[in-house]
Order: sequence, then C-alpha cells, then structure tokens
Amino acid sequence: MKRITLKRTICVACASALLLPILCTFSGCGQDQIVLRIYNWEEYIDDGGEGSYVYDQLLDEGVDETSIVAPSILDDFELWYEQTYHKSVRVEYSCFGTNEDLYNQLKLGDTYDLVCPSEYMIMKLASENMLEPLPVSFFDETDEQNTYIQNVSPYIKDVFDSHYITLTKENGDKEQHSWGEYAAGYMWGTTGFIYNPELVDSEDLSHWSVLLDTKYKNKVTTKDNVRDTYFIGLAILYQDELISLKDKLESGEIGETEFSEQAAIMMNDTSPDTVAKVQNILLEMKSNIYGFETDSGKLDMVKGIISINFAWSGDAVYAIDTAESENVFLNYYVPDECANLWFDGWVMPKNENRSEETKHAAMAYINYMSKPESAIRNMYYIGYSSVIAGDEVLEYINDTYGVEEGDEEDAVPYDIGYFFGVEATIYTYEDQLERQLFAQYPTLEVMRRCIPMEYFADEAGERINELWTKVKGETLDAWAIIVICVCIVAIAAFVVFVKLGGKIDFFRLKPKKGYRLIKQEPYRK
Amino acid sequence: MKMPRFSRKTLCIPYCVFLIFFVILPMLVIFIYAFTDKNMNFSFGNFVKFFSDPTKLSTIVYSFVIAIVTTAVCLIIAYPVALILARSKMKRKFVLLFLFVTPMWINFVLRVNAIRELLNWIGLLGEANYFNTIFGMVYDFLPFMILPLYTTMMKIDNSLYEASADLGGNSFTTFTRVTLPLSMPGIMSGVTMVFLPSMTNYVVSDMLGNSKVTIIGKFIETYFGTDWHMGSMIALILLIIVFTSTALTGGFKSEDNVRGANL
Repeated sequence: MKRITLKRTICVACASALLLPILCTFSGCGQDQIVLRIYNWEEYIDDGGEGSYVYDQLLDEGVDETSIVAPSILDDFELWYEQTYHKSVRVEYSCFGTNEDLYNQLKLGDTYDLVCPSEYMIMKLASENMLEPLPVSFFDETDEQNTYIQNVSPYIKDVFDSHYITLTKENGDKEQHSWGEYAAGYMWGTTGFIYNPELVDSEDLSHWSVLLDTKYKNKVTTKDNVRDTYFIGLAILYQDELISLKDKLESGEIGETEFSEQAAIMMNDTSPDTVAKVQNILLEMKSNIYGFETDSGKLDMVKGIISINFAWSGDAVYAIDTAESENVFLNYYVPDECANLWFDGWVMPKNENRSEETKHAAMAYINYMSKPESAIRNMYYIGYSSVIAGDEVLEYINDTYGVEEGDEEDAVPYDIGYFFGVEATIYTYEDQLERQLFAQYPTLEVMRRCIPMEYFADEAGERINELWTKVKGETLDAWAIIVICVCIVAIAAFVVFVKLGGKIDFFRLKPKKGYRLIKQEPYRK
Repeated sequence: MKMPRFSRKTLCIPYCVFLIFFVILPMLVIFIYAFTDKNMNFSFGNFVKFFSDPTKLSTIVYSFVIAIVTTAVCLIIAYPVALILARSKMKRKFVLLFLFVTPMWINFVLRVNAIRELLNWIGLLGEANYFNTIFGMVYDFLPFMILPLYTTMMKIDNSLYEASADLGGNSFTTFTRVTLPLSMPGIMSGVTMVFLPSMTNYVVSDMLGNSKVTIIGKFIETYFGTDWHMGSMIALILLIIVFTSTALTGGFKSEDNVRGANL
C-alpha cells in the first residue's frame, strides 16, 4: 500500500515537472514580463565572453583575465530596458542560416516580433503583405529615445528611402512603399573578392570575369547560392556595357542616379534570353573554379588552397583578420563593373496578437542596437559594418585603423564622409586602402557603382532556380539517359527473374571425381 | 490495490502515435505537396516537369551510378574483413571489430572534415571531385556494410565447413557453395544500408566535391529553399526508387534465420 502511494507521488511529481515549462509558456511565468521573440542570422550579434569588445576593453585596462565578466548584448538590453522603462523583458533569441529558411519559418506560422532578413527578402516579405510597417513614432527625430533615426548613416537612410516595394493590397490595389517604412537597417556591405596579393595580379581582378580566367583554374571560388552567382553571371555578360557606363560616370557625362538606374536594369535582367546566356557563362565558370562554397572559402584562403574568393565584405574582414594571425596577408577588391550593395535590416512580421507593450519593447530593441556603443560592440564581434554612423563610431574606426603616434609620415588620408554625413577623413596606413578599412567602408567612388539586387518574383524566380539546377547538376544527352535507364531496368528484370525461381547458378561446378551432385540445394529452404 | 495490467494493445499505443505523427503524416504531407501547385490546387505539373527535365534525370542517373560504385567498393572491402573477423580463432577479435566500428561514434561532419584535410594533403581536393565523393562515402558507410556481414557470417555453423571439407570441397568450392549463399542475407542488408544513404548524402559531395558534384539529395535541399512542391516531388520519386530497390533485394522478407542481420 505504502509503496504504491510513494510511486504515485513520484509519478505526479515527474508529470508536473514535465508540464511546468509548458504551463509557464501559456501563463507567462511572472505575468508582467514581456517576451520579445527575435530571429537573427547565426553569429550576427555580440555574444559576450572572450573576444567581445567589452572583454577586450577590460583586458586593455589591465583587469585580471579571470575576473572579467563580459555579458552579451542581449543581457545588457534586458537590464537596460528594466532600468529605463521599469518593465521586465525577456528576449527569446533564435537564429536562421539562410533567408529562405527564415521565409519558410514565417510561412509555417512561426511568430516573431523582429526578424533580420536581407534586402531582397524584406522586399519579398513586404510585397506578400507579411510585414507590419514600423510605427511613425519610431522615426520621430525629436524623441531622444529614438537612437536609430538619430544615428543611422544619411547614406543608408537615403538608400532606404529611395528604393520602393510594390504591395498588392487585399482589394487588388497596388501601392508603393519605401524600404524605410518597413525596415530599420542593421548591417550592410558589398560583395567582392578576397585575394592573396602574392599569388594574384591585382589588375586581373578588375573584372568579374577573372572567374573564367584559366590562369586561375582551380584557384577561385564563388558562393553556393543562386543570387550571388547569378549576379556575377550578369556582370560578366554585361561587362562591356557596364564598363562604358562606369567611364561615363567618371567623366561626368552621366550622373550617379542615371548610372544606378541603367546598371539596375542590367543587373536585374531576368528575361529568358539573358538567363540562357548567363547559364552558359556559369557553366563555363563551373569548369574553371575550384568549387562553390558557403563557409569553407575563408579558411581555404588562409591555408592558401585558393587565391581568389568571392566574399561578402564582412566575411572579408573576418578572413583578413584570421589570416593576419597566421601571417598571411589578404586584400579585398571590388571589381570595376559594379557590385552588389546589400543590407540586413530589422522588420516586424505581421501578428494581430502582438500587444502594444511588445511593440514598444521591439522598437526599444532596435534603438538599443542602434546606440553607437552597441553598434561598435556588434561590429567588433562579427566584423560586418553597422549602418549606424555618429561620432563614437567614427572615433572607433579611427582608433582601429588610424596611424599610431610617430607614424604620421606614412599616413594616407581616407575619406568616408559620405557614410558619416560629416567631414570624415581617416589618416591610415597605405595597406588599409585595400584591406579591412576598405572592406568595411569602401570609398565613395566604389559605392557609387554598387547597386542593390531586387528579388525575383514568380516566373523570373522559377527561371533562375531552373538555371541554378542546370548549373549545379550535370546534363547528359538524351541517349545516354535512355541507355543507362535500360541497363538499370535490365538488371532489375534479371533480379526479379532470379527471385521468381529462375535457375541461374554462376558457381555450379562439376563435382569432383567420385562424388555425385545432390540435386537438393542445401541452403534453400 | 492492484497494479493496473497493461495488455499488449495498450502497450502499442505509444508506438502507434509515434508512427502516425512521425512517419505517416509527414509522408502524407510530402505526397500532398508533390501533387499540388503553388496555390495548393491538384496538379501533375511537378511530375511532368521532373521527367521532362534532362538535368534532373541526369542527376538521378549520376546519383545512381555514384551509389552503385560506393556500394560495390564497400562490399569488396567489407566482405573479406567480415570473413576474416568471423572465421578467425582470435580470442579478442571484438577488439578488431571495435576498431572498424569506432569511427561511427565520432561526429559525421567531423569525419568528413578530416577526410577533406587528408585529401587536400594528398593534393586530390578540387582535382578529382567524383573520386573524392566516392572515397568519402565509402569511408563513411563501410561500418554499415561490415556489421551485417559479420553478424550473418558469425552464425554460419562451423560444422558446415567441416562437412564441405569432408565431401571433398576445396576452399573455393566451400566459399561459393557454403559461405557465399549463407551470407547472402547479410550482403543484401549491407547493400541496402549503404546504397540508399549514398544516393542522398549531399554533405559528403558538398564538402569533398567542393559542391561541384550534385546528387539528388542536394536538389531536394535546394528546392526546399524555394519551391516545396518540386522538392516534395523529387523526394517522392526517390522514395519510390528506394522502395522498389528494397523490394527487389528482398528487404521486406522476414527471414528468421538471419535475426538482426537487417539491423
């Protein structure tokens, strides 16, 4: 009797222990706590601990290594929110690997308060009516809590306000909205090549077509995704047109906007004819390159397996840093034709059940991430460039890349005023003009040639996907497929024949002299 | 008070629930996705598209060939090993078996990475993508071939060999008339266990073939990024291929004399 009671108690205890977390989610343990669900790229935020900005600052100040506590930026946000608004918030942070993963998750009905996709995915989500515009109060510059709008780079803001998304409303009306209404920028950058100057003639890099150059056979890599690779294909296809356009821009014959408009038409071309031409270019490229990669390229560069690697600027900074510690010196270059200008930004997926409080916390989160000191922490940790300008960031860049005292003679001026919106010239070492500083903040001359790439809707998207399967897969001639299929069917038929009792015995040997073959097969039942 | 007694039926409930939620429902979803278009209307579009696209057919054929070569090489390597292990009179032969199986306990991605380094050191990485892919797959799937072969061969009664010798069979005859036929179930389950994953394991082809070798599993992954319907169709076709080949090799037959050989 007693034993059973005990057993039952244990059972109840176990069951309640299992149920507790579930109950908590429903009742919201600690009723006043706001839960903020954030979905961001992997390794795209200051995580605290060793190697973080706070940690290294304290280390520089001479604090003992073992006693340093460097919290993650999310912990700091929770603390700051409670202190500022006297409400407790808990961030539920999860990560995605690709924009498409994020899209699928949202489509499957996952609810998040803030997600951080790239520009084309923002366009796609917005055009499918899946995003909620950010509140007008968020853009009020007079409110001192709105650190985002106060600190965002004027250059980035201009891009966000001058690019439009076409929305189809439920009643069929079409509306134009700027990116800026839906998204607050987080990180930005360009695409280009990381290269090893000892192995590569930098003049060869001036065109994207270096990927077809047999001089670098098996020494170049590109990304294993369709958008980046299609962009390269287009840039190679329109090489002459883009170069002449660039010459016109430099001679002042056409203005910046005209250049962007014309280049954007070429770089967003998805007509069947163009896709077919790009496909041939990419197939030629496939036979020349070392491989398609997503992550391994950085390490392969450091190891010297390859000498040119197509990269996003933030990855380039990371690769150059890593290589430096191995005494390999890498550079970054943006080819002459044009390059992809990309952004990742915070957007709010539609959710009717989201409370005003959560919304407030979400906006506070963006603003917290947009504080110059937060931007510096994130930049320091992940290597990408934040969209946040402001004096502190400029000072940080100057501290990182400016010449040290005593080296003034070697200093070269580097102008990044376009980004900070104020006079901003950094006196840096000459090699930085091709290295981390250039990768993080390219010159205005390069930036004028960078354009964002739009998303490919419906039919165009399908065409591009088909192109990608054709590029990645092998295409045999029809006769070869038929021959192989016939062989396979023949083998299958043979197996079936044997199964059904057909007697084919390869090893039936003549019995030795003096022995007699027993008909019954010993091993069959 | 009496302890409640569980009948066999009640004990089955958890398994049924598991099977329904994790096997049957997902299959149904794949089936529904495969035969619908973007607006979830019934359509044969994906089916037609698949069989009219030479690239997808070629990729299936390539995957097939890669899988066949992998399986054959695995079998050629594993058979003698299993035979030696099973027939040797070594006292501690399980140590040997251990050595062959331990790599399976190390994380798969880690192993592939190690192979990548090795191939790079030899100088093959990036030069012979198809060879590298098959090499990696053989390395990864070898234990799956050795184990079932070993377990079936262990069960062959020693007296059968003696009988064969008594009846005047030389070692070759003994092999062809005793060992080979009796180890057939092991071969079959080994082949199934190596052949099927090597058609879809795109991690190996991505990492060792530098993503220049594309097998059908990679296509499924790519399509699930953008077009779930086509992805489901490819998955379904692969499923049918798998089902047919299992049926052909007799994987569904329950043979009680080879307990465990099908693992």
